[in-house]
Amino acid sequence: MTESQESHTGAAPLLEARGLTKDYGGTRALDSLDLAIAPGEVYCLLGPNGAGKTTTINLFLGFVAPSAGQALVAGLNVSTHDRESKRRLAYIPEQVMLYRNLSGIENLEYFAALGGQGSLGRERLVEILVEAGLDGEAAGRRVSTYSKGMRQKVGIAIAIAKEADALLLDEPTSGLDPTASSEFSALVERLRNRGVAVLMATHDLFRAKDTGTRVGIMHYGRLVTELSTAEVGHADLERIYLEHVSDNGGPR
Amino acid sequence: MIHHIVRKEFADMIRDGRFRWSAILVGSLLLVSLAHGWVQARKASQEHAAAQATAREHWETQGEKNPHSAAHYGVYAFKPRLALSFVDEGVDPFTGTSVWLEAHRQNDFLLRPAQDVTAAQRIGALTAAQVLQHLVPLLIILLTFGAFASERERGTLRQLVATGVGWRELALGKALGASGALALLLVPAAVAGATALVVANPGPTASPVARGAVLAGAYLAYFVVFLALSLAVSARARSSRTALVFLLAVWVVNGLVAPRVAVDLSKRVYATPSAFEFARTVEREMADGVEDIAPPDRAESTQRLLAEYGVERVEDLPINAVGVYLQESEEFSNRIFDRNYGALWDAFRRQGILQEVLAAAAPSIAVRTLSMGLAGTDVEQHRHFAEAAETYRRDLMRQMNGDMTENSLTGDFSYAAGAELWESVPPLEYEAPPLGWVLGNRILSLAVLGAWLAGAVLLASAQVRRAEVA
Repeated sequence: MTESQESHTGAAPLLEARGLTKDYGGTRALDSLDLAIAPGEVYCLLGPNGAGKTTTINLFLGFVAPSAGQALVAGLNVSTHDRESKRRLAYIPEQVMLYRNLSGIENLEYFAALGGQGSLGRERLVEILVEAGLDGEAAGRRVSTYSKGMRQKVGIAIAIAKEADALLLDEPTSGLDPTASSEFSALVERLRNRGVAVLMATHDLFRAKDTGTRVGIMHYGRLVTELSTAEVGHADLERIYLEHVSDNGGPR
Repeated sequence: MIHHIVRKEFADMIRDGRFRWSAILVGSLLLVSLAHGWVQARKASQEHAAAQATAREHWETQGEKNPHSAAHYGVYAFKPRLALSFVDEGVDPFTGTSVWLEAHRQNDFLLRPAQDVTAAQRIGALTAAQVLQHLVPLLIILLTFGAFASERERGTLRQLVATGVGWRELALGKALGASGALALLLVPAAVAGATALVVANPGPTASPVARGAVLAGAYLAYFVVFLALSLAVSARARSSRTALVFLLAVWVVNGLVAPRVAVDLSKRVYATPSAFEFARTVEREMADGVEDIAPPDRAESTQRLLAEYGVERVEDLPINAVGVYLQESEEFSNRIFDRNYGALWDAFRRQGILQEVLAAAAPSIAVRTLSMGLAGTDVEQHRHFAEAAETYRRDLMRQMNGDMTENSLTGDFSYAAGAELWESVPPLEYEAPPLGWVLGNRILSLAVLGAWLAGAVLLASAQVRRAEVA
């Protein structure tokens, strides 16, 4: 361990925020976030709109530069190791957007190749898509015929194919039906078991409790509390969430 | 990694119905304009050859007459069409391609199709050069304006950049992918053009293939300029609509506004007289002389000959004094022509140079100048032929006046030469300038196009580096 500190599990964290701060003009979107997510951990960021969840993910992806502090991926500072840190990450946005004129297989092949996986064979690509829950027959069809759920599954397949150390999920189950959401949770569980560190921004308390190992509640850019999902029930989580996100502090 | 991007961009593009239809349209227009240009050029060459042969036959079979009458009878000279003129007819429709060579006069060129067509016909007569200079850049813009901007709007750019792919790799892959799609229409057109070049009569130049290769290179550079500009704008524009509107504005300025402004500005800075004014000036100077160019004095001419031959009467001269005087008149008018046409050509040249400089504002001006130059249809090569024809005319007049002077006596108007003299006059053998001469004349356009190429690539590189995912 060179740059990063130990996570709460004792293992070297794969995702780490140190005093991570982001200002947009005069507005502080993220305020001194300290966070460490170890291999095999699923950390769920809860919070209302504008709490700083997506900003946190954007900072880990290097899409925006921090105003202060550091975002580290596998010990690499994102600001100074942009490409290397991205190589260690996989990212699934709220709405996975794909190339409509290409099939699911072609989309996966393209993103996997750009992610450093080279040319995976067609058989392997179909295998990954099926693992992600996509019907084998649909894999060869153009994405323009896909539903949102099917596109999300291709997004998951892209993450699986990349064999990344860490996974960033930004409202990944938003708009999915319960079955698809449940399948999604099962996949995240499988990735977690492989030692992937997962950071998931979500509004879904049920999913957070069900999928996460830890939950952090954000409000106005600050991490206001953090708890282990093993220690709380669904009802407790909802109560704690509501307690913390009631308007007891405005943006600074 | 780049080959994955190239392959995806290519596949994505050719599966897009908008690309297919626009490519089919532009490709068809290009092939049709090439075919039409080739047919027209071949027809014109055949007509010129037939007319030249007829003119020669008329000259040789004009019967017995005084050589000076033959000089007034005159001959026609036709500017040969170079092999590449089917790609770009340049200024030929405006300047004309044939000239009547006769005594005492340097005539204007004839056969100017531009004089005889309606405005609608001008629009309809789309040349391959126009397709290459205007429609292909438009297609490039339509293909690439959304390269980054549309991906940013759709959200795919976030996912793409999250993979760890570099911006430069992405830009290069997109450029090569679009180039591959464009090649689908440009390569068949280039093959058709090359075939036409081989099949066509190469014309009076030793380097049609080399000219063709340089022409292809110039257009390629021009297309890369548009490709790079389009990527640069797409990388920075807030939306694909903004990118498209901006690039269409660039296209309009480049293809429609700047060339007209350049022509008008060059005419304003280096004004040339109207055809009427020019003719009146020449007529006046021919009548009165100008500055140190005085019309020959017949009496003085005769006195000089009498002194030279040591005789007192013109009847005793062993030569025809009228023939000498006629040649002196030719020499005088030649000086008047050289003075006026020289100034006119120089003004055209300065206008051309200014237009080449103004290509710094629009690459279409540079590529148009290069295209006409390499096709052999620019003003400089029109001048090259006009001067060769004028030299031929002067030699012809000298030969006719010389024959009259040597073979008849002063006052003897019964002398008539025959076929032997007419056949002794060699036909005009015009040799078009070599490629080096053309490129030497167009060095400014080459430099400006090169600067556009380098500038556009650097701009694209800088803008892509500063691009944002959202």
